[in-house]
Amino acid sequence: MNKEKISSQEIIDLVASKASVSKRAAEEFLKVMIATIEEALMAGEVVKIKNFGTFKLQWNEPRKSVNVQTGEEIILHGYHKVTFTPEVSLKNIVNEPFAHLESVQLDSENDFVIPEKKEEEALDPLRIFTEQATEIKDLLSEINALSPAPKRKESAKKEVVVEDKFNIEEYRAAEEEVSMPIEKNEIEQPEIDSEIKLEQPEISDPKEPVTEVPKVDSVNVQFSEPIEPIFENESDPLFDSTPFSDGVKPKRKKWMLISVVLLLLAGCVGLYIFSIPVNMFSNDVYVEAKTELSYVKYVSIPGMFNSFKKFFSPEIKKVQVTETVVIPKDTAATDTVEVQEPVDSLQLLFDNPRVYNEFIASEQIMAGSRLTILSKKYYGTKDFWVYIYEANKERIQNPDNIEKGTLIRIPKLDPRLIDTSNPRCMLKARELYYEYVKKKP
Amino acid sequence: MNHKELIASMAAKMNAPKSVVADLLETTVATCTELLGEGKTIGFQSFGNFEVRKKEERLSVHPSTQVRTLIPPKLVVNFKQSNIVKDKFKDIPHHE
Repeated sequence: MNKEKISSQEIIDLVASKASVSKRAAEEFLKVMIATIEEALMAGEVVKIKNFGTFKLQWNEPRKSVNVQTGEEIILHGYHKVTFTPEVSLKNIVNEPFAHLESVQLDSENDFVIPEKKEEEALDPLRIFTEQATEIKDLLSEINALSPAPKRKESAKKEVVVEDKFNIEEYRAAEEEVSMPIEKNEIEQPEIDSEIKLEQPEISDPKEPVTEVPKVDSVNVQFSEPIEPIFENESDPLFDSTPFSDGVKPKRKKWMLISVVLLLLAGCVGLYIFSIPVNMFSNDVYVEAKTELSYVKYVSIPGMFNSFKKFFSPEIKKVQVTETVVIPKDTAATDTVEVQEPVDSLQLLFDNPRVYNEFIASEQIMAGSRLTILSKKYYGTKDFWVYIYEANKERIQNPDNIEKGTLIRIPKLDPRLIDTSNPRCMLKARELYYEYVKKKP
Repeated sequence: MNHKELIASMAAKMNAPKSVVADLLETTVATCTELLGEGKTIGFQSFGNFEVRKKEERLSVHPSTQVRTLIPPKLVVNFKQSNIVKDKFKDIPHHE
Protein backbone atom coordinates (compact mmCIF):
# COMPACT_ATOMS: atom_id res chain seq x y z
CA MET A 1 0.00 0.00 0.00
CA ASN A 2 1.23 3.39 -0.89
CA LYS A 3 1.47 5.55 2.20
CA GLU A 4 2.57 8.57 0.28
CA LYS A 5 1.20 11.74 1.77
CA ILE A 6 -0.45 14.24 -0.48
CA SER A 7 -0.22 17.79 0.74
CA SER A 8 -2.96 20.35 0.29
CA GLN A 9 -0.82 22.02 -2.35
CA GLU A 10 -0.90 18.91 -4.50
CA ILE A 11 -4.64 18.66 -4.05
CA ILE A 12 -4.96 22.24 -5.19
CA ASP A 13 -2.90 21.50 -8.28
CA LEU A 14 -4.93 18.44 -9.13
CA VAL A 15 -8.26 20.18 -8.63
CA ALA A 16 -7.10 23.15 -10.68
CA SER A 17 -6.10 20.99 -13.61
CA LYS A 18 -9.19 18.84 -13.44
CA ALA A 19 -11.70 21.64 -13.11
CA SER A 20 -9.64 23.80 -15.50
CA VAL A 21 -9.50 26.73 -13.13
CA SER A 22 -6.53 28.74 -11.95
CA LYS A 23 -4.55 27.42 -9.02
CA ARG A 24 -5.32 30.53 -7.07
CA ALA A 25 -9.04 29.98 -7.46
CA ALA A 26 -8.70 26.38 -6.41
CA GLU A 27 -6.65 27.39 -3.40
CA GLU A 28 -9.19 29.93 -2.37
CA PHE A 29 -11.96 27.45 -2.82
CA LEU A 30 -10.24 24.91 -0.59
CA LYS A 31 -9.56 27.50 2.11
CA VAL A 32 -13.16 28.64 2.07
CA MET A 33 -14.35 25.07 2.15
CA ILE A 34 -12.31 24.26 5.24
CA ALA A 35 -13.30 27.52 6.89
CA THR A 36 -16.96 26.91 6.20
CA ILE A 37 -16.82 23.40 7.56
CA GLU A 38 -15.07 24.62 10.68
CA GLU A 39 -17.62 27.35 11.19
CA ALA A 40 -20.49 24.98 10.82
CA LEU A 41 -18.90 22.59 13.25
CA MET A 42 -18.26 25.45 15.63
CA ALA A 43 -21.96 26.19 15.55
CA GLY A 44 -22.60 22.62 16.57
CA GLU A 45 -23.78 21.53 13.17
CA VAL A 46 -23.12 18.37 11.26
CA VAL A 47 -21.54 18.87 7.86
CA LYS A 48 -22.40 16.45 5.16
CA ILE A 49 -20.65 16.32 1.81
CA LYS A 50 -22.26 14.26 -0.87
CA ASN A 51 -20.33 11.16 -1.98
CA PHE A 52 -17.72 11.87 0.62
CA GLY A 53 -18.84 11.73 4.18
CA THR A 54 -19.99 13.50 7.28
CA PHE A 55 -18.05 15.68 9.65
CA LYS A 56 -19.19 15.82 13.23
CA LEU A 57 -17.92 17.32 16.41
CA GLN A 58 -17.48 14.97 19.30
CA TRP A 59 -16.71 15.82 22.90
CA ASN A 60 -14.02 13.76 24.52
CA GLU A 61 -14.33 13.70 28.27
CA PRO A 62 -11.38 14.76 30.39
CA ARG A 63 -9.60 11.80 31.88
CA LYS A 64 -6.94 11.00 34.37
CA SER A 65 -3.58 9.78 33.33
CA VAL A 66 -0.16 9.27 34.82
CA ASN A 67 3.01 11.04 33.84
CA VAL A 68 5.22 8.23 32.64
CA GLN A 69 8.42 9.84 33.90
CA THR A 70 7.40 11.13 37.32
CA GLY A 71 4.44 8.91 38.10
CA GLU A 72 2.37 11.96 38.94
CA GLU A 73 -1.30 11.91 38.25
CA ILE A 74 -2.28 14.39 35.60
CA ILE A 75 -5.61 15.30 34.14
CA LEU A 76 -5.99 15.35 30.39
CA HIS A 77 -8.44 18.06 29.56
CA GLY A 78 -11.52 17.30 27.61
CA TYR A 79 -11.54 18.43 24.03
CA HIS A 80 -13.68 18.50 20.93
CA LYS A 81 -12.74 16.20 18.16
CA VAL A 82 -13.75 16.36 14.55
CA THR A 83 -14.88 12.94 13.45
CA PHE A 84 -15.36 11.89 9.90
CA THR A 85 -17.70 9.12 8.82
CA PRO A 86 -17.18 8.14 5.22
CA GLU A 87 -20.18 7.48 3.05
CA VAL A 88 -20.82 4.00 1.74
CA SER A 89 -19.60 4.88 -1.75
CA LEU A 90 -16.27 6.13 -0.41
CA LYS A 91 -15.98 3.14 1.87
CA ASN A 92 -16.47 0.77 -1.01
CA ILE A 93 -13.95 2.53 -3.19
CA VAL A 94 -11.32 2.49 -0.48
CA ASN A 95 -12.00 -1.10 0.45
CA GLU A 96 -11.92 -2.33 -3.12
CA PRO A 97 -8.76 -4.44 -2.79
CA PHE A 98 -10.50 -6.49 -0.13
CA ALA A 99 -14.01 -6.31 -1.55
CA HIS A 100 -13.89 -9.90 -2.77
CA LEU A 101 -13.40 -11.20 0.74
CA GLU A 102 -16.34 -12.38 2.71
CA SER A 103 -16.81 -13.18 6.32
CA VAL A 104 -16.68 -16.92 6.83
CA GLN A 105 -18.79 -18.67 9.37
CA LEU A 106 -16.69 -21.23 11.13
CA ASP A 107 -18.09 -24.48 12.43
CA SER A 108 -20.12 -23.68 15.46
CA GLU A 109 -18.75 -25.49 18.44
CA ASN A 110 -20.96 -26.41 21.31
CA ASP A 111 -18.06 -26.63 23.70
CA PHE A 112 -19.67 -24.00 25.82
CA VAL A 113 -23.06 -25.61 25.90
CA ILE A 114 -22.24 -29.22 26.60
CA PRO A 115 -20.39 -28.82 29.89
CA GLU A 116 -23.27 -26.77 31.23
CA LYS A 117 -25.67 -29.58 30.55
CA LYS A 118 -23.37 -32.07 32.17
CA GLU A 119 -23.17 -29.93 35.24
CA GLU A 120 -26.89 -29.80 35.45
CA GLU A 121 -27.18 -33.54 35.34
CA ALA A 122 -24.48 -33.95 37.88
CA LEU A 123 -25.96 -31.38 40.19
CA ASP A 124 -29.36 -32.88 40.68
CA PRO A 125 -29.61 -36.55 39.89
CA LEU A 126 -32.52 -36.62 42.31
CA ARG A 127 -34.65 -34.48 40.06
CA ILE A 128 -33.87 -36.68 37.09
CA PHE A 129 -34.65 -39.73 39.15
CA THR A 130 -38.05 -38.39 40.10
CA GLU A 131 -38.69 -37.50 36.47
CA GLN A 132 -37.93 -41.03 35.43
CA ALA A 133 -40.14 -42.31 38.20
CA THR A 134 -43.09 -40.29 36.92
CA GLU A 135 -42.47 -41.57 33.41
CA ILE A 136 -42.42 -45.12 34.69
CA LYS A 137 -45.61 -44.46 36.58
CA ASP A 138 -47.35 -43.32 33.46
CA LEU A 139 -46.18 -46.35 31.53
CA LEU A 140 -47.33 -48.69 34.21
CA SER A 141 -50.69 -47.14 34.59
CA GLU A 142 -51.16 -47.68 30.86
CA ILE A 143 -50.17 -51.31 31.19
CA ASN A 144 -52.50 -51.66 34.12
CA ALA A 145 -55.36 -50.33 32.12
CA LEU A 146 -54.68 -52.88 29.39
CA SER A 147 -54.46 -55.94 31.61
CA PRO A 148 -55.93 -55.60 35.07
CA ALA A 149 -54.04 -58.22 37.00
CA PRO A 150 -55.42 -59.63 40.21
CA LYS A 151 -51.94 -60.69 41.20
CA ARG A 152 -50.66 -57.23 41.06
CA LYS A 153 -52.07 -56.15 44.34
CA GLU A 154 -50.72 -59.11 46.18
CA SER A 155 -47.23 -58.58 44.94
CA ALA A 156 -47.47 -54.91 45.63
CA LYS A 157 -48.45 -55.52 49.20
CA LYS A 158 -45.33 -57.52 49.69
CA GLU A 159 -43.17 -54.87 48.24
CA VAL A 160 -44.40 -52.16 50.47
CA VAL A 161 -42.68 -53.76 53.37
CA VAL A 162 -39.44 -53.16 51.57
CA GLU A 163 -40.38 -49.64 50.69
CA ASP A 164 -40.66 -48.74 54.32
CA LYS A 165 -36.96 -49.33 54.73
CA PHE A 166 -36.24 -47.64 51.43
CA ASN A 167 -33.27 -49.71 50.58
CA ILE A 168 -32.72 -49.17 46.88
CA GLU A 169 -31.22 -52.58 46.27
CA GLU A 170 -34.22 -54.30 47.60
CA TYR A 171 -36.49 -51.90 45.89
CA ARG A 172 -35.07 -52.96 42.58
CA ALA A 173 -35.22 -56.59 43.46
CA ALA A 174 -38.84 -56.17 44.32
CA GLU A 175 -39.44 -54.48 41.03
CA GLU A 176 -38.08 -57.47 39.22
CA GLU A 177 -40.16 -59.84 41.17
CA VAL A 178 -43.32 -58.06 40.40
CA SER A 179 -42.67 -57.39 36.79
CA MET A 180 -42.10 -60.99 35.97
CA PRO A 181 -45.52 -62.25 36.96
CA ILE A 182 -47.18 -59.34 35.30
CA GLU A 183 -45.83 -60.32 31.95
CA LYS A 184 -47.02 -63.83 32.45
CA ASN A 185 -50.42 -62.82 33.60
CA GLU A 186 -52.09 -62.96 30.25
CA ILE A 187 -51.33 -66.57 29.61
CA GLU A 188 -51.11 -68.26 32.93
CA GLN A 189 -53.37 -66.24 35.08
CA PRO A 190 -55.79 -68.83 36.32
CA GLU A 191 -53.20 -71.38 37.30
CA ILE A 192 -50.93 -68.99 39.05
CA ASP A 193 -53.75 -67.42 40.88
CA SER A 194 -54.98 -70.64 42.25
CA GLU A 195 -51.55 -71.64 43.35
CA ILE A 196 -50.82 -68.39 44.99
CA LYS A 197 -54.02 -68.53 46.85
CA LEU A 198 -53.06 -71.92 48.01
CA GLU A 199 -49.65 -70.81 49.03
CA GLN A 200 -50.51 -67.63 50.70
CA PRO A 201 -51.64 -69.02 54.00
CA GLU A 202 -48.75 -71.41 54.19
CA ILE A 203 -46.16 -68.73 53.79
CA SER A 204 -47.84 -66.39 56.11
CA ASP A 205 -47.82 -68.95 58.87
CA PRO A 206 -44.18 -68.69 59.87
CA LYS A 207 -44.05 -65.00 59.47
CA GLU A 208 -47.38 -63.48 60.43
CA PRO A 209 -47.60 -60.72 57.79
CA VAL A 210 -51.34 -60.79 58.20
CA THR A 211 -51.14 -57.74 60.37
CA GLU A 212 -48.91 -55.94 57.98
CA VAL A 213 -50.87 -56.35 54.84
CA PRO A 214 -53.78 -54.08 55.74
CA LYS A 215 -51.45 -51.33 56.91
CA VAL A 216 -49.79 -51.27 53.60
CA ASP A 217 -52.82 -51.22 51.38
CA SER A 218 -53.17 -47.49 51.19
CA VAL A 219 -49.59 -47.04 50.13
CA ASN A 220 -49.93 -49.87 47.72
CA VAL A 221 -51.14 -47.99 44.73
CA GLN A 222 -48.28 -45.56 44.75
CA PHE A 223 -45.59 -48.14 44.99
CA SER A 224 -47.04 -50.76 42.79
CA GLU A 225 -46.63 -48.55 39.79
CA PRO A 226 -42.98 -47.53 39.29
CA ILE A 227 -41.94 -51.03 38.55
CA GLU A 228 -41.88 -52.59 35.17
CA PRO A 229 -39.71 -50.37 32.94
CA ILE A 230 -36.83 -50.64 35.32
CA PHE A 231 -37.03 -54.35 34.92
CA GLU A 232 -36.00 -53.99 31.33
CA ASN A 233 -32.85 -52.17 32.30
CA GLU A 234 -32.06 -54.52 35.12
CA SER A 235 -28.66 -56.19 35.00
CA ASP A 236 -27.80 -59.67 36.11
CA PRO A 237 -25.23 -58.82 38.80
CA LEU A 238 -27.76 -56.75 40.60
CA PHE A 239 -30.11 -59.59 40.61
CA ASP A 240 -27.53 -61.90 42.03
CA SER A 241 -26.96 -59.58 44.90
CA THR A 242 -30.51 -59.88 46.12
CA PRO A 243 -30.98 -61.74 49.30
CA PHE A 244 -32.90 -64.43 47.53
CA SER A 245 -29.97 -65.86 45.62
CA ASP A 246 -28.36 -66.67 48.90
CA GLY A 247 -31.46 -68.16 50.28
CA VAL A 248 -31.84 -70.51 47.36
CA LYS A 249 -28.46 -72.20 47.78
CA PRO A 250 -29.80 -75.53 48.98
CA LYS A 251 -31.81 -75.83 45.80
CA ARG A 252 -28.83 -75.26 43.54
CA LYS A 253 -28.40 -78.80 42.30
CA LYS A 254 -31.67 -78.68 40.51
CA TRP A 255 -30.97 -75.29 39.06
CA MET A 256 -27.58 -76.27 37.71
CA LEU A 257 -29.36 -78.23 35.03
CA ILE A 258 -31.03 -75.17 33.62
CA SER A 259 -29.16 -72.43 31.83
CA VAL A 260 -27.89 -69.43 33.75
CA VAL A 261 -30.50 -67.09 32.42
CA LEU A 262 -33.24 -69.55 33.11
CA LEU A 263 -31.97 -69.76 36.65
CA LEU A 264 -32.17 -66.05 37.15
CA LEU A 265 -35.64 -65.73 35.78
CA ALA A 266 -36.94 -68.77 37.59
CA GLY A 267 -35.38 -67.42 40.73
CA CYS A 268 -37.33 -64.32 40.15
CA VAL A 269 -40.52 -66.30 40.13
CA GLY A 270 -39.51 -68.18 43.23
CA LEU A 271 -38.66 -64.95 44.95
CA TYR A 272 -42.06 -63.69 44.10
CA ILE A 273 -43.61 -66.51 46.00
CA PHE A 274 -41.38 -66.05 49.02
CA SER A 275 -41.30 -62.34 48.80
CA ILE A 276 -43.11 -61.75 52.04
CA PRO A 277 -40.52 -63.25 54.32
CA VAL A 278 -37.54 -62.16 52.26
CA ASN A 279 -38.59 -58.61 51.89
CA MET A 280 -38.97 -58.19 55.58
CA PHE A 281 -35.23 -58.04 55.83
CA SER A 282 -32.59 -55.74 54.51
CA ASN A 283 -29.26 -56.99 53.23
CA ASP A 284 -27.69 -56.63 56.63
CA VAL A 285 -29.88 -59.26 58.21
CA TYR A 286 -30.08 -61.64 55.32
CA VAL A 287 -28.71 -64.46 57.44
CA GLU A 288 -31.83 -64.31 59.46
CA ALA A 289 -33.83 -64.31 56.31
CA LYS A 290 -32.03 -67.40 55.21
CA THR A 291 -33.08 -69.31 58.23
CA GLU A 292 -36.59 -68.09 57.84
CA LEU A 293 -36.62 -69.23 54.28
CA SER A 294 -35.47 -72.69 55.06
CA TYR A 295 -38.18 -72.76 57.63
CA VAL A 296 -40.70 -71.84 55.04
CA LYS A 297 -39.36 -74.46 52.71
CA TYR A 298 -40.07 -77.22 55.11
CA VAL A 299 -43.58 -76.19 55.44
CA SER A 300 -44.62 -75.56 51.92
CA ILE A 301 -42.09 -75.70 49.20
CA PRO A 302 -40.83 -79.03 47.95
CA GLY A 303 -43.90 -80.09 46.03
CA MET A 304 -44.97 -76.60 45.17
CA PHE A 305 -41.65 -75.62 43.80
CA ASN A 306 -41.52 -78.41 41.30
CA SER A 307 -44.97 -77.70 40.05
CA PHE A 308 -44.04 -74.07 39.69
CA LYS A 309 -41.03 -74.94 37.67
CA LYS A 310 -43.18 -76.87 35.29
CA PHE A 311 -45.46 -73.95 34.90
CA PHE A 312 -42.87 -71.32 34.63
CA SER A 313 -40.05 -72.81 32.64
CA PRO A 314 -41.88 -72.56 29.30
CA GLU A 315 -43.11 -69.17 30.34
CA ILE A 316 -39.68 -67.94 31.08
CA LYS A 317 -38.55 -68.77 27.61
CA LYS A 318 -41.33 -66.67 26.26
CA VAL A 319 -40.29 -63.79 28.40
CA GLN A 320 -36.78 -64.07 27.13
CA VAL A 321 -38.03 -63.88 23.62
CA THR A 322 -39.94 -60.73 24.29
CA GLU A 323 -36.88 -59.19 25.83
CA THR A 324 -34.67 -59.93 22.90
CA VAL A 325 -37.27 -58.58 20.56
CA VAL A 326 -37.43 -55.27 22.36
CA ILE A 327 -33.75 -54.49 21.96
CA PRO A 328 -33.56 -54.55 18.17
CA LYS A 329 -36.64 -52.40 18.07
CA ASP A 330 -34.87 -49.72 20.03
CA THR A 331 -31.86 -49.71 17.80
CA ALA A 332 -34.03 -49.61 14.72
CA ALA A 333 -35.79 -46.57 16.01
CA THR A 334 -32.55 -44.62 16.28
CA ASP A 335 -31.58 -45.30 12.69
CA THR A 336 -31.31 -42.14 10.69
CA VAL A 337 -33.25 -41.64 7.54
CA GLU A 338 -31.21 -40.64 4.58
CA VAL A 339 -32.60 -37.95 2.40
CA GLN A 340 -32.09 -38.63 -1.21
CA GLU A 341 -31.54 -35.64 -3.38
CA PRO A 342 -33.64 -35.61 -6.47
CA VAL A 343 -31.80 -35.59 -9.74
CA ASP A 344 -33.31 -32.88 -11.87
CA SER A 345 -32.38 -30.67 -14.75
CA LEU A 346 -30.40 -28.39 -12.46
CA GLN A 347 -28.30 -31.29 -11.26
CA LEU A 348 -27.64 -32.26 -14.84
CA LEU A 349 -26.62 -28.71 -15.50
CA PHE A 350 -24.17 -28.93 -12.64
CA ASP A 351 -22.77 -32.29 -13.56
CA ASN A 352 -22.29 -31.88 -17.27
CA PRO A 353 -19.21 -29.98 -18.34
CA ARG A 354 -20.26 -26.54 -19.39
CA VAL A 355 -19.55 -25.44 -22.93
CA TYR A 356 -19.17 -21.75 -23.54
CA ASN A 357 -20.10 -20.70 -27.04
CA GLU A 358 -21.96 -17.47 -26.53
CA PHE A 359 -20.42 -14.47 -24.92
CA ILE A 360 -22.17 -11.37 -23.74
CA ALA A 361 -19.10 -9.17 -23.36
CA SER A 362 -15.35 -9.06 -23.18
CA GLU A 363 -13.23 -7.22 -20.68
CA GLN A 364 -9.62 -6.20 -20.59
CA ILE A 365 -7.91 -6.96 -17.32
CA MET A 366 -6.48 -3.84 -15.73
CA ALA A 367 -4.79 -3.12 -12.45
CA GLY A 368 -7.24 -3.98 -9.75
CA SER A 369 -9.53 -5.99 -12.00
CA ARG A 370 -10.77 -9.17 -10.54
CA LEU A 371 -12.93 -11.99 -11.81
CA THR A 372 -15.17 -11.58 -8.79
CA ILE A 373 -15.78 -7.96 -9.67
CA LEU A 374 -16.57 -8.88 -13.26
CA SER A 375 -18.91 -11.57 -12.01
CA LYS A 376 -20.70 -9.09 -9.82
CA LYS A 377 -20.99 -6.74 -12.74
CA TYR A 378 -22.47 -9.25 -15.17
CA TYR A 379 -24.15 -11.87 -12.99
CA GLY A 380 -25.03 -9.87 -9.91
CA THR A 381 -22.94 -11.91 -7.49
CA LYS A 382 -19.24 -12.41 -7.18
CA ASP A 383 -19.70 -16.10 -6.46
CA PHE A 384 -20.15 -16.97 -10.12
CA TRP A 385 -16.67 -15.83 -11.14
CA VAL A 386 -15.81 -19.52 -11.45
CA TYR A 387 -17.80 -19.72 -14.68
CA ILE A 388 -15.89 -16.81 -16.16
CA TYR A 389 -12.74 -18.61 -15.19
CA GLU A 390 -13.98 -21.81 -16.78
CA ALA A 391 -14.69 -20.02 -20.03
CA ASN A 392 -11.24 -18.40 -20.09
CA LYS A 393 -9.17 -21.18 -18.63
CA GLU A 394 -6.66 -21.26 -21.46
CA ARG A 395 -5.80 -17.58 -20.91
CA ILE A 396 -5.64 -17.54 -17.15
CA GLN A 397 -2.87 -19.32 -15.33
CA ASN A 398 -3.77 -18.18 -11.86
CA PRO A 399 -7.29 -16.93 -11.21
CA ASP A 400 -6.03 -14.94 -8.22
CA ASN A 401 -3.51 -13.01 -10.23
CA ILE A 402 -4.36 -12.44 -13.86
CA GLU A 403 -1.85 -10.77 -16.07
CA LYS A 404 -2.67 -7.20 -17.03
CA GLY A 405 -4.04 -6.76 -20.50
CA THR A 406 -5.58 -10.21 -20.68
CA LEU A 407 -8.79 -10.17 -22.65
CA ILE A 408 -11.49 -11.94 -20.72
CA ARG A 409 -14.69 -13.08 -22.39
CA ILE A 410 -17.78 -13.09 -20.27
CA PRO A 411 -19.83 -16.17 -21.16
CA LYS A 412 -23.56 -16.24 -21.48
CA LEU A 413 -24.83 -18.51 -18.77
CA ASP A 414 -28.04 -20.43 -18.33
CA PRO A 415 -30.16 -18.29 -16.03
CA ARG A 416 -30.95 -21.37 -13.94
CA LEU A 417 -27.27 -21.79 -13.28
CA ILE A 418 -26.79 -18.34 -11.86
CA ASP A 419 -29.97 -18.09 -9.86
CA THR A 420 -28.81 -16.22 -6.78
CA SER A 421 -31.95 -17.16 -4.91
CA ASN A 422 -31.26 -20.86 -5.32
CA PRO A 423 -28.93 -22.10 -2.60
CA ARG A 424 -27.85 -25.03 -4.76
CA CYS A 425 -26.44 -22.69 -7.40
CA MET A 426 -24.45 -20.90 -4.73
CA LEU A 427 -23.28 -24.21 -3.34
CA LYS A 428 -22.15 -25.39 -6.73
CA ALA A 429 -20.24 -22.17 -7.32
CA ARG A 430 -18.59 -22.63 -3.95
CA GLU A 431 -17.62 -26.18 -4.83
CA LEU A 432 -16.08 -25.06 -8.09
CA TYR A 433 -14.30 -22.31 -6.26
CA TYR A 434 -12.59 -24.78 -3.94
CA GLU A 435 -11.78 -27.00 -6.86
CA TYR A 436 -10.01 -24.25 -8.75
CA VAL A 437 -8.28 -22.67 -5.83
CA LYS A 438 -6.79 -26.04 -4.94
CA LYS A 439 -5.61 -26.59 -8.49
CA LYS A 440 -3.78 -23.32 -8.68
CA PRO A 441 0.02 -23.74 -8.60
CA MET B 1 -25.53 21.45 7.30
CA ASN B 2 -26.05 19.37 4.23
CA HIS B 3 -24.41 19.47 0.85
CA LYS B 4 -26.63 22.21 -0.57
CA GLU B 5 -26.31 24.44 2.44
CA LEU B 6 -22.56 24.05 2.37
CA ILE B 7 -22.44 25.11 -1.27
CA ALA B 8 -24.71 28.05 -0.61
CA SER B 9 -22.63 29.19 2.30
CA MET B 10 -19.39 28.85 0.36
CA ALA B 11 -20.80 30.62 -2.66
CA ALA B 12 -21.77 33.55 -0.46
CA LYS B 13 -18.26 33.79 0.94
CA MET B 14 -16.50 33.50 -2.40
CA ASN B 15 -18.88 35.75 -4.26
CA ALA B 16 -19.18 33.05 -6.85
CA PRO B 17 -22.19 31.37 -8.40
CA LYS B 18 -23.35 28.20 -6.72
CA SER B 19 -22.88 26.13 -9.84
CA VAL B 20 -19.18 26.93 -9.96
CA VAL B 21 -18.76 26.11 -6.30
CA ALA B 22 -20.71 22.91 -6.74
CA ASP B 23 -18.49 21.89 -9.64
CA LEU B 24 -15.34 22.65 -7.70
CA LEU B 25 -16.56 20.76 -4.69
CA GLU B 26 -17.46 17.79 -6.81
CA THR B 27 -14.04 17.80 -8.42
CA THR B 28 -12.34 18.06 -5.06
CA VAL B 29 -14.35 15.18 -3.67
CA ALA B 30 -13.65 13.09 -6.76
CA THR B 31 -9.92 13.83 -6.49
CA CYS B 32 -9.82 12.97 -2.81
CA THR B 33 -11.79 9.78 -3.36
CA GLU B 34 -9.47 8.73 -6.11
CA LEU B 35 -6.38 9.37 -4.04
CA LEU B 36 -7.81 7.58 -1.07
CA GLY B 37 -8.75 4.71 -3.34
CA GLU B 38 -5.10 4.41 -4.22
CA GLY B 39 -4.37 4.18 -0.54
CA LYS B 40 -2.74 7.58 -0.26
CA THR B 41 -2.89 9.91 2.67
CA ILE B 42 -4.28 13.37 2.13
CA GLY B 43 -3.16 16.14 4.45
CA PHE B 44 -5.15 19.35 4.53
CA GLN B 45 -2.99 21.80 6.35
CA SER B 46 -4.73 23.39 9.29
CA PHE B 47 -7.56 20.87 9.06
CA GLY B 48 -6.40 17.30 9.31
CA ASN B 49 -5.32 14.15 7.57
CA PHE B 50 -7.37 11.64 5.66
CA GLU B 51 -5.70 8.33 5.89
CA VAL B 52 -6.47 4.80 4.75
CA ARG B 53 -6.00 2.25 7.48
CA LYS B 54 -6.12 -1.49 7.30
CA LYS B 55 -8.26 -3.32 9.80
CA GLU B 56 -6.86 -6.79 10.24
CA GLU B 57 -9.02 -9.86 9.96
CA ARG B 58 -10.49 -11.04 13.21
CA LEU B 59 -12.57 -13.73 14.73
CA SER B 60 -15.88 -12.65 16.12
CA VAL B 61 -18.09 -14.75 18.31
CA HIS B 62 -21.79 -14.10 18.48
CA PRO B 63 -22.47 -13.66 22.17
CA SER B 64 -25.73 -15.57 22.30
CA THR B 65 -25.41 -18.17 19.55
CA GLN B 66 -21.66 -18.75 19.91
CA VAL B 67 -21.35 -18.78 16.14
CA ARG B 68 -17.79 -17.92 15.25
CA THR B 69 -17.28 -15.80 12.18
CA LEU B 70 -14.04 -14.86 10.53
CA ILE B 71 -14.23 -11.22 9.53
CA PRO B 72 -11.92 -10.48 6.61
CA PRO B 73 -9.49 -7.58 6.65
CA LYS B 74 -10.72 -4.27 5.29
CA LEU B 75 -9.53 -0.81 4.46
CA VAL B 76 -11.18 2.16 6.06
CA VAL B 77 -10.82 5.91 5.82
CA ASN B 78 -9.67 7.58 8.96
CA PHE B 79 -9.67 11.29 9.64
CA LYS B 80 -7.46 12.85 12.23
CA GLN B 81 -7.86 16.49 12.97
CA SER B 82 -4.84 18.71 13.12
CA ASN B 83 -3.80 20.38 16.34
CA ILE B 84 -4.77 23.74 14.91
CA VAL B 85 -8.37 22.63 14.64
CA LYS B 86 -8.24 21.09 18.06
CA ASP B 87 -7.11 24.38 19.53
CA LYS B 88 -9.81 26.25 17.70
CA PHE B 89 -12.52 24.07 19.16
CA LYS B 90 -11.12 24.38 22.65
CA ASP B 91 -13.12 27.52 23.23
CA ILE B 92 -16.48 25.99 22.53
CA PRO B 93 -18.28 25.48 25.77
CA HIS B 94 -19.15 21.90 26.47
CA HIS B 95 -22.80 21.21 27.12
CA GLU B 96 -24.34 18.04 28.45
